[in-house]
Amino acid sequence: MRCDHCANDVPDGVFCTRCGAHQGTTGELARAKTRRHSFAAHPGEHVVQPSVFTTLFPHLGRQKIHEFRWAFAVGLAGILLLYAVGLIAAAILVAILLVPLLYLIYLYEAQVYRDEPATVLGFTIGGGVVIGLVVTLIERAVTNPFTSVGNPLGSAGISVGTLLAVGLVMPVVQEALKPLPALFLPNRKDFPETVDGLVFGIAAGLGFSVAESLVVFSSALTGLPAHMSPGNWIYELATIAVFQPLLQGSATGMVVAAAWRYRRGRLSGREVGGVAMAVIAHVAFSLGTQLLKDVAVAQLFVLLWQAVVVGAVLVYVRYLLHHALLEEAAHMGYAETVCPNCHRHIVASGFCPNCGMALTAAPAPVKRARKPAVSKG
Amino acid sequence: MAMTCARCGAQNPDGNLYCQSCGTPLTAAPPAPMPGPPPGPPSGPPPSMAPPVFTGPAGYASPYYAPAGVTAPVHRTPWMLIIAAVVALVVLMAGCGTALAILGNRGSVSISGSVGTADLPSPTPAVTPSPVASSPTPASGPGIVANDTVSLTVPSGWTVVSKDSQEIVLEDPSPEGEVDVASGSSSPAASAQDNKAGIDKELTNKYPDTRACPNTKTINSTLNGVKGISWSLCFTLTDGTHSVPAAASLFVGANTSGSVYYLVIVLTRQDNLTSYLKVTAPVTASIHWKL
Repeated sequence: MRCDHCANDVPDGVFCTRCGAHQGTTGELARAKTRRHSFAAHPGEHVVQPSVFTTLFPHLGRQKIHEFRWAFAVGLAGILLLYAVGLIAAAILVAILLVPLLYLIYLYEAQVYRDEPATVLGFTIGGGVVIGLVVTLIERAVTNPFTSVGNPLGSAGISVGTLLAVGLVMPVVQEALKPLPALFLPNRKDFPETVDGLVFGIAAGLGFSVAESLVVFSSALTGLPAHMSPGNWIYELATIAVFQPLLQGSATGMVVAAAWRYRRGRLSGREVGGVAMAVIAHVAFSLGTQLLKDVAVAQLFVLLWQAVVVGAVLVYVRYLLHHALLEEAAHMGYAETVCPNCHRHIVASGFCPNCGMALTAAPAPVKRARKPAVSKG
Repeated sequence: MAMTCARCGAQNPDGNLYCQSCGTPLTAAPPAPMPGPPPGPPSGPPPSMAPPVFTGPAGYASPYYAPAGVTAPVHRTPWMLIIAAVVALVVLMAGCGTALAILGNRGSVSISGSVGTADLPSPTPAVTPSPVASSPTPASGPGIVANDTVSLTVPSGWTVVSKDSQEIVLEDPSPEGEVDVASGSSSPAASAQDNKAGIDKELTNKYPDTRACPNTKTINSTLNGVKGISWSLCFTLTDGTHSVPAAASLFVGANTSGSVYYLVIVLTRQDNLTSYLKVTAPVTASIHWKL
């Protein structure tokens, strides 16, 4: 068949395997090309959909995504159980490590690091942990936690200095430092695709998040009784387990992905916007959380605010990744392969003709197993 | 010998299984001639940028193939293993967290006795506070800080963190905590008990585990001429960079009509409250309520 959009002769399919355009939308070429209704890493979803796993775990197929979702749900249930029985210190530890653990399993599953797991994991997660420890310890040394308490009766009690330090300066400094381990990965030239940069950035951000949370909650971990009345800890646990790592991971991932695009000579407003979005979202998250807590708004609203900010970041990450995949997958040659999303055996170039998945986002073992259109004889 | 694609006419290197232009399976059969020029190689510019090339009516070309032999698995990690890893994390951390908490609490100093603002010096006898502003205390000298409702002495090395018309917050040199003194009009009128309930509610909203500190009790007391209530609350103070097991020794009072409130908060770490109350004693003893 001939593609509606690029006019190349391609194997029949719902999507053009060369350019990824959704066929049958000839009258709306712009939509066929950008296909916002069909996210390039997970074609069953719209690009503007704040889905956690299909955004931050882009190499996983439809079935595997559900397994990771279930694993996450099991982890959250574990935290809830520990909270309910009053083992708050234990619940904090699980909350800190849950998302990073799932990400480690994902990295193993997708083999994003290919043949160099030690170097890649050391520079991304390990580097993030080291930077997180240093930065958070310095932050603790220069701020006094007691100055932000204020008068609970409602008069002016918020220290503006503390508010600016915690809500503005620290997020900006963190966003400047967190991507460094991934940006200085020694063998980065072996991982030229934007999706690689995104995943490395997310890993570095999650490493940072682990170190930050461990330092922040070190006093609570050793100071809280082993068993206590759970109180309202569930709100804090939700932040530690879900929103904090997602923000740190996705913001750093977006910055590193933008840097990867720059290295490919593809820096545009979209990438610059990604960096700006990461910084603005982090500031909004920290400043908003601090302000809402200081004015004693119900904790549920604090979580709601955090969810809104994280959702916005996720959508921008998808937007950035979607366009990067559409562009980069179009350069792949034909080969026999298996689509990791729909599991069909296909002869394809850059996109699965059946479901439209960008095959640059396939796990490394699948990419390795591609049989190029050249016989061995 | 170069092979020509039967479908699009593109020339392919010898040995290609599929046409590098359109993906059609290549066979050894002689190619059918196709009208029009062959499209460019796939390694050229992005297809979306390539000009349309007419290659004649295209036949059906299946994008699927039947795998020969065993193909590499798409996924490596069984789902049971993923779930098991998360369950192991929960179990392991339950043990670690509990052990950490037990070890951490073994050496900690518990708050003993009746700690609260009742322990603060209260040299003056109980009097009914006047809702009317008394003669203002001048802020004479660098050691005195005052606003419209209260004045107090700032010891050497201490700093005034914030001050407005109703509240003054001091920080010790270390700093190990802070002293927050406030007074002002209550509208609507509120008794000391009402004010206490309000503070309990606000702190509970702010900090997830606000509770009465162990071995402490709530008592009626008097602070520098104002009748009120003293009690202690323990909670974990989190602010983005810290998570400190904190203790607040509180005093809250009201005048007889309930139109004025009086508040003192001494805030520090839980294991430091008893000694910190001694450090802050000169400050609380110097409080002069103006309303």
